[in-house]
Amino acid sequence: MNENLFASFAAPSMMGLPIVVLIVMFPSVLFPTPSRLINNRLISIQQWLIQLTSKQMLAIHNQKGRTWALMLMSLILFIGSTNLLGLLPHSFTPTTQLSMNLGMAIPLWAGTVITGFRYKTKVSLAHFLPQGTPLPLIPMLVVIETISLLIQPMALAVRLTANITAGHLLIHLIGGATLALINISVTTAFITFIILILLTILEFAVALIQAYVFTLLVSLYLHDNT
Amino acid sequence: MAGPETDAQFHFTGIRKYFNSYTLTGRMNCVLATRGGIALLLYFKLGSKKTPAVKAT
Repeated sequence: MNENLFASFAAPSMMGLPIVVLIVMFPSVLFPTPSRLINNRLISIQQWLIQLTSKQMLAIHNQKGRTWALMLMSLILFIGSTNLLGLLPHSFTPTTQLSMNLGMAIPLWAGTVITGFRYKTKVSLAHFLPQGTPLPLIPMLVVIETISLLIQPMALAVRLTANITAGHLLIHLIGGATLALINISVTTAFITFIILILLTILEFAVALIQAYVFTLLVSLYLHDNT
Repeated sequence: MAGPETDAQFHFTGIRKYFNSYTLTGRMNCVLATRGGIALLLYFKLGSKKTPAVKAT
């Protein structure tokens, strides 16, 4: 049971060859490129959703921030679709791997910080000291603000990893408990099954919310630096 | 949010003109001074650890 619980988080391979790259690339197949002025229903719905999301997400940004529109939309689509596909039984979820999430979080965060230092050096540096800080507290607050800046990419990555991993683990455990309880007490197994259904609904929400939170935080870091 | 237009309302003199927590320049200089101080501290601390033989002579 213990070995099976974490087996789904291991990088999958087929006949000795790693197929993680194929799994990571798969969500792009679900978003076909629009090739006509008026497209089919799937593409039209996707376009409508992307327009809705991008309008809401880019409203706070200025001209410079809006150059990141493609990056932010790709990010939310990728994380959202990967998380949702991971809810299929026996599938592998790339966003449960900390390495992958760090690979997304660190370059994006670094990009926003470097953009800020490059175009608004004075404001970016002044950000590390809140206005009105008493004189004796200045050095300590500068150190604290620097640490809180450096923690941001770690928090981004770990938040996504932990939420998705925890959800998958819970589904595994409660699913296993339901199966085990069938032979012992059907009523208890039924109650556990109801809990499993509610948890699965929650995990659908968490999959989309985590994608939104990741992208929103990157967007906020960008807004602070543009 | 502090900016060049709001900095004009503060009238500091002496060293407070360059090191304060109200104007943009003051905050930037405080941040640079703190980080510079920590960098210098680390440099001398690590520098003294590297050359124990020279210190003994």
